[in-house]
Amino acid sequence: MKRKLKKSSTMSLMMVLLFSVVMSACGGTTSNTATPEPAATGTDTTATATTGADMIKTAKVPAGSELEKALKGEYKGTKVTMYGPFVDADEQKFNASIKAFEDQTGIDIAYEGSKEFEATINVRVNGGNAPDIADFPQPGLLEGFANSGKVVDVSSFMDESYLKEQYKDSWLDMAKMKGEGGKELTAGVWARSSVKSLVWYNKKAFADAGYEVPKTWDEMMALTEQIAKDGDPAWSIGIESGTATGWPATDWIEDIMLRTTTPENYDKWLTGELPFTDPIVKNAVKKMSDIWFNKDYVYGGRSSIVTTNFGDSIQPLFTDPPKAWFNRQAGFIVSFIPEGVTADEYDWFPFPSIDEQYGTPAMISGDIYAMFNDRPEVRAVMEFFTTAESLQSWIQSGGVTPPMNGTPDDWFANDQERRMSQFVQEAKTIRFDGSDLMPSSVGAGTFWKGMTDYVSGTASLDEAMAEIQSGFKKQ
Amino acid sequence: MAKRKHKAPKRKASWLVNTILAIICIIWFIPTLGLLISSVRPAADILQTGWWTVFPHRQWATEEQVKLPKDTDLRQPITVNGQTFSDDQLKAGVMQGDKRLVWENRRSRTVDVQDKKWSGMTLNFTTQNYETVLGGKQYKITQPDGTVKTEQGSGMGRSFWNTIAVVIPSTVIPIFIASFAAYAFAWLKFKGRRFFFVIVIALLVVPLQVALIPILRDYTALGLNGTYFGIWLAHTAFGLPLITYFMYNSISQLPRDLFESAYMDGATNFTIFSKLILPLSVPALASISIFQFLWVWNDYLVSLIFLGSQPEVQVLSMNIANMVGSRGSDWHLLTAAAFVSMLTPLAVFFALQKYFVRGLLGGSIKG
Repeated sequence: MKRKLKKSSTMSLMMVLLFSVVMSACGGTTSNTATPEPAATGTDTTATATTGADMIKTAKVPAGSELEKALKGEYKGTKVTMYGPFVDADEQKFNASIKAFEDQTGIDIAYEGSKEFEATINVRVNGGNAPDIADFPQPGLLEGFANSGKVVDVSSFMDESYLKEQYKDSWLDMAKMKGEGGKELTAGVWARSSVKSLVWYNKKAFADAGYEVPKTWDEMMALTEQIAKDGDPAWSIGIESGTATGWPATDWIEDIMLRTTTPENYDKWLTGELPFTDPIVKNAVKKMSDIWFNKDYVYGGRSSIVTTNFGDSIQPLFTDPPKAWFNRQAGFIVSFIPEGVTADEYDWFPFPSIDEQYGTPAMISGDIYAMFNDRPEVRAVMEFFTTAESLQSWIQSGGVTPPMNGTPDDWFANDQERRMSQFVQEAKTIRFDGSDLMPSSVGAGTFWKGMTDYVSGTASLDEAMAEIQSGFKKQ
Repeated sequence: MAKRKHKAPKRKASWLVNTILAIICIIWFIPTLGLLISSVRPAADILQTGWWTVFPHRQWATEEQVKLPKDTDLRQPITVNGQTFSDDQLKAGVMQGDKRLVWENRRSRTVDVQDKKWSGMTLNFTTQNYETVLGGKQYKITQPDGTVKTEQGSGMGRSFWNTIAVVIPSTVIPIFIASFAAYAFAWLKFKGRRFFFVIVIALLVVPLQVALIPILRDYTALGLNGTYFGIWLAHTAFGLPLITYFMYNSISQLPRDLFESAYMDGATNFTIFSKLILPLSVPALASISIFQFLWVWNDYLVSLIFLGSQPEVQVLSMNIANMVGSRGSDWHLLTAAAFVSMLTPLAVFFALQKYFVRGLLGGSIKG
C-alpha cells in the first residue's frame, strides 16, 4: 500500500513538473523567436536608421549641447537607467519611440517599469539607488524630492530660451518647484500628456438618433433629459479602480471647479487655502450630483457607479443598441473601447462650459521626467525628451498627447487625437489634474475616499467634504 | 457487546469529522474551481456573467415581445397586457401570472415576456488567455515611417526561469545554515547559547519592511542591487529566524542517548550532524522547505526592492502584476497567469507532502 502511494505521488509529481516545463518551454520559445523578429527583417532596421538620421534634421538640436554630441555618437556604449510606472503596452510603445535615438547614439536607455512606482521610488531614492531618470505621473510626488534637493535642476544645462521654444509657458510653470533652501528650480521636463476634459460618445448612434453635440452645460443637461425621455440613461459612469477607487469622481469635480470659479480659486483649492467645505466647492459637487444621483440619467443608477470599473464604463456606449450615451474620461480611455470599434465610430466633445466667463478650460495630466544623476549622457537623454521626436511612434500609435510644441499634424493616429492636442493648444485656461498636485494624503487619499463615500451614500455632502479637508492636516 | 458499544460513538465521531472536512474542502475548492473556469472563458463572457453560469441552470428565456406605443411616457405607470406597472418594476423584472415582464429596450419600448427554462452547459471556452500569458501579448506599434508593426511581448517563460534561479538557492541556503545553527543551539554547550538563541527568536517579530531602506543602502554601496546573489542573501536573512526556530524544535527532541553513544564511539560533531541529525530530521526539513519555497515563490516585495523588474531578472510575481497593463485593462489574464504560476508550488507540495504532515506533528508531541 505504502509503495503504491509513493509511486502514484511520484507519478503526479512527474506529470505536474513535466507540464510546467512544457508550458514554460513553449512560452520560452515563442518569446525567443519573437525577440529577433524586429532585427531579422532587414527592411525594418534600415527604416529606423534613416528616421534616426532624419531626427537631426527635424528636431532643433541646440549647438554645443550634450544632445548634439550624443547624436554624433560621443556617448556610445553608455547606459542610462530609467524608472517609471508604465508597464505592458505603454512600456512597449515607450521603447519603440526611443529606439531610433538609441540606435543612432549608442546610448542604452534601460527602462524599468513597475506598477508600484509610487511606493518604491521613495525607497529607491532614500536607499541611494536612484535611477538616472524617473518618470513621475504625479508632480506632487516629485515635489517632495525637489524640496529635499535630490533632483537635478534641468535649467542648469538647458537654456531658458530653448525650453520656452519647446514648451508653452504654462507647462514650464508647472515644472518649477522649490528646491533645497527655497531656491526655485525646473524639476524636470514634460513628456506624454493626456487631456482629461473630454466627453466620449458613439458617433454613429448619436447621428442616427438625431442628437446634436451640446456646447454648454445647459444644452448638455437638456440632451440628458431628452435621452432619458427617449428611454435610455445618458451617462455611463464608473469610479472603481482597485485601491485608487474614486479618482474619476475627483476629475469631475476638478473639471466643474474650473468651469464654475476662477483659476486662482482653483489654485488656492489645491493648497487647502480654499477648503472643501467652502460653498464654491460644494456647489461643484452638487452640479455633479445633478447628473450622478438621478436614476434616469445614469446607467445602472447611483449604486452601480462605485462598483463599475472606470475602464468598463465605456463599454455600454458601444453595444448595439447603445445602453448609454456619454462617458467623461481622459484621452487614454480609447484603449478600453471594445475591439472592433474603429476610430470613425466614436468621438469626443469638450466637457462643456458652465459659466460663460470661465469658458471651456482644458484639464490635463502628464508625466514629468526628473533627473537624479548628473552625467553628460543623462543630460543628452533629457534633452532628447524635450523633443516631439521622442514620442513620435507613440503619438502615431495613439493614446498620448504631446506636451511639447512642434508636432506635425500628420503624426496623429486619427482626427480625434489631433483635435485633443489642438484643444489644449487653444484653451485659454489650462490646469493640471488637481488631485495629482494636492498633497498625496488628500489627492491620493481622502479625496478619493471621500468622493467614494459620498457617491455610495455612506456620507452626506458635509461629512464627505469635512473628511476630504481633514487630509490636509495629515501631511 | 461491550465492544460494540465502544465502537458506535467512534464511528459517529469519524462521520462528523469527515463531514466537517468535506465542507472545508468544498469551501476551499469552490474559489479555485471558479478561477479555473474563468481562466478558460473569453474576456467578454467574464465581464457579463459569473463563472457558475457555465453549468446547466434555470434562467429566464424570452417567449414573446410586446411593443408598447412609441409615445409611452416612462415616468408614468406603464400598461402592459392590460396591467399597469411602474418603470422600476419593469427594469427589475415583474411577474405577471407565471410569466416575467422585463424591458428588452426602453428606447424602442419593447418588453420581453419571459418564462423559466433550463439552459444547457455553456461550452464557450478558449485557450486564448493561456496562449497570451505564456506566449506574450501582441502590441501594435506604428513605426516612424507610418507602417504598423506587431511586437510580440515576452511571455512567462523567462521570468519562470528567473524565479527558479531565485527560489532554489533562497530555499537551500537558509535551511542549510539554520540546521547547523539549530544543532548548535540544541546540543552544543557554549557561552551565551541562551542569549544568542533569544536574539534569534526575537528577530521573528521584526517586520522585514523596516530593514528595506538600510539594506538597500548597503547593497548600493556593495553593488549588490539587482543581482541574484543580493536577493539570495536577503531571502536567507529574512528566512533564518523562523527556520532556525523550527529546526531547533525538531532537533532538540531527538533522544540524548543517541548523541552520547555516538560520542562514545568517537564521532565528531560534524559526523553526528551529517550521519544522525540530518537523516532523522528529514520530515522537518521537508516541511520547512515547503514553507520557505512557497514564501519565496510568492514574494513580491523583496524582489521588487532588491531585484527590480528589468526583464533579465524579473520574477513571476512581478511579471504577473505587470500583465494587467498600466491601467488594469487586461485583468482577465490574471486567472490564467495564476494557474500557471501555481503549477510549480503544487509540484513541490505533492513531492514533499508525505513528510509535510509528519513534520508539522513532529514538534507537537513531547517525548
